[in-house]
Amino acid sequence: MRLLIVEDDRKLADFVARGLRAEGFAIDLAADGREGRGYIDSYQYDLLILDLMLPLISGSELLRLVRRSNPTLPVLIVTARDATEDKVKHFEAGADDYLTKPFDLAELVVRVKSLLRRNPVERTDVILLSNLELNRLTHQVRRGEQNIELTSKEYALLEYLLSSPSRVFTRSMILEHVWDQSFEGVTNIVEVYVRHLRRKVDDPFPEKLIHTVRGVGYCVRETQQAAGP
Amino acid sequence: MNHRSLAFRLALWYTLLLGATFALVGMGMFYGLEQYLHSSLRDSLRRRSSQVEQILEQGSAVISNAQISDAISTRVSPEFNNRFVRVTRAPGTLIYRSGTPADRSFDPNAVPPIAGTWLDGTAVRRTVTVQNQRLMLNATRIDTPSGRYLIELGSSLQSIDGLQDRLLALLGLLLPVLVICAAGGGYLLVNWALRPVDRMSQTAEHMSMQNLDARLPVLPTGDALQRLSLSLNHMLGRLRDSVQISRRFLADASHELRTPLTVIKGELQEIVSGDAAQGEVRERVGSVLEEVARLEHLVSGLLALSRLDAGEAQREWLDVDLVELAASTAEQMRLMAEDRGIQLQFPPAAPLIVRGDPSRLKQVIVNLLDNAIRFTPRGGAVMLRTGDSGGDIVLEVLDTGIGIPPAALTRVFDRFYRVDEARSRDDGGAGLGLSIAQSICLAHGAQIEVHSEVGHGSCFRLRFPRTPSDDPARPALAATPQMRSVTPAI
Repeated sequence: MRLLIVEDDRKLADFVARGLRAEGFAIDLAADGREGRGYIDSYQYDLLILDLMLPLISGSELLRLVRRSNPTLPVLIVTARDATEDKVKHFEAGADDYLTKPFDLAELVVRVKSLLRRNPVERTDVILLSNLELNRLTHQVRRGEQNIELTSKEYALLEYLLSSPSRVFTRSMILEHVWDQSFEGVTNIVEVYVRHLRRKVDDPFPEKLIHTVRGVGYCVRETQQAAGP
Repeated sequence: MNHRSLAFRLALWYTLLLGATFALVGMGMFYGLEQYLHSSLRDSLRRRSSQVEQILEQGSAVISNAQISDAISTRVSPEFNNRFVRVTRAPGTLIYRSGTPADRSFDPNAVPPIAGTWLDGTAVRRTVTVQNQRLMLNATRIDTPSGRYLIELGSSLQSIDGLQDRLLALLGLLLPVLVICAAGGGYLLVNWALRPVDRMSQTAEHMSMQNLDARLPVLPTGDALQRLSLSLNHMLGRLRDSVQISRRFLADASHELRTPLTVIKGELQEIVSGDAAQGEVRERVGSVLEEVARLEHLVSGLLALSRLDAGEAQREWLDVDLVELAASTAEQMRLMAEDRGIQLQFPPAAPLIVRGDPSRLKQVIVNLLDNAIRFTPRGGAVMLRTGDSGGDIVLEVLDTGIGIPPAALTRVFDRFYRVDEARSRDDGGAGLGLSIAQSICLAHGAQIEVHSEVGHGSCFRLRFPRTPSDDPARPALAATPQMRSVTPAI
């Protein structure tokens, strides 16, 4: 899988490239719109990550050009502009997804994978982690032989964390998926819910599954894999 | 009517001046007329007197009293002319006295003699009152060959007094009418003259930071008013420019911060999530990351504010049931409140529809509830209440928290303002939450106000004007007057 990143901020481009290479992608970097256009014309890419404010040829312009020559190439826009009109405009112009800076690399990887459909939404009905069992059909959560009663928000939070065990979910990712953006930056609602979830899921049992990664967020994993903080 | 208003004071002064002028003119007229009439009467008396003198002087020493009487009667005919004539010869013999005048204005027999005229030797003039009638008397002493005579000639002042009374009555009636007309007219005139100023102040009243493009009406009067409105408009232009510059700076600055923030956050998250850092290093990086998260919130808060400033508030614009929105938000935040031992109450209410952007409105409710929960001690209560008050739709967030000191009340909506520096910074607040809430409210045409008592709690109240959706004739845009430019630029 070959990806092109068109981003004029060198450090950001390097950082994103490193993260994606670690996931096994081949990455090319272009620092401005004209260079990006050259790459696109010369090589076959599976996905384009595009910054909007680019020198020489702007991201919006490049997006239009790409859509003309290659209508099926998935394009993920990464920008500091988060006004809704901008988003709508670029979706209309043919962007497939939109990510606002400052974003989490984990979020970017998730979006890239879902755009590439390499990671089709796993609809396994039952998720298992250690002795924790979550049934997506019945919304039942069990640990060992014990039934755990969760409120709907607690369930949604646990389901989200379990959707990708061992991955660290940042607070803003959790907020965006389980709540909505109204809570962004204001409340410690995520902490409160995680604490309540822990009380029900972890506290009665010796093995702790929900881990805090300080400054980043939370992840669920079996304790023996790595020492939690 | 405002007694200190410029219009009132101008009209008052105008009336006083005009009234004084009228009074002076009236007085001048009154006394001038009196003077003129009296002097012409005096002249007439003197002429008659000299006629009598001629009769007496022409007569020889032997002229009889009857001859004198005849001559006076025929040549002066005092009764017919309503005059009084009395001729006395020294030392006191009455030679002639005129009869009752034709208009019967006085009784000639009752006219007293003028004292002291015998000694004086010159003409003496007196005004005497006979039976309630004022008479002007002119006495002249002459020496003739036939002896020394005293000629007394008089005339009633009745007609002159009557004329003056009539004039006085007319003036007395006219003056109040004129003053009242002047007062009314003056007030209207001043108001009319001040109307452009009124219009200017009304326009200025409706200006806000959201519509600095509006301009004051300029009347081509070529006077101070035109210059004033022009210079105010220039000032508004400069104000708008500088506000735009500072807004653009805010937007650009927060914008530019986002890319480096992404890199910092990403790199640090890599370190913390990977195996590279352990123990203390991991803790420290985590701590830095927490600060980065705060910085991130700050930047997104500033961007949100700068977008609201620019009037880009609305993502969607639709009918929102405020009660349902409040209920669902309260439900989502109930656990947070309970976690801190605070009771979150939301009494059920009938739907109240406002027009707006639901996600923005929700943000306001979240901000207010979050504040209330944060500043209410364990065991307290936070209440979210909706209702109808004075035709407005009202949403209130009440708490039993620590309250806000009166000095801080006016500033709680200011950007970066914190009531207590140390306290709220620890809670992660950047001091932008209420500012954002206020901006969102303004964009919805709603008002936000706060009441608080230290130690007892605070109440934040949102006041939405009745939605125009009740009235299908009016377009939805009417709810956001600040979104449109009111007056075209001049």
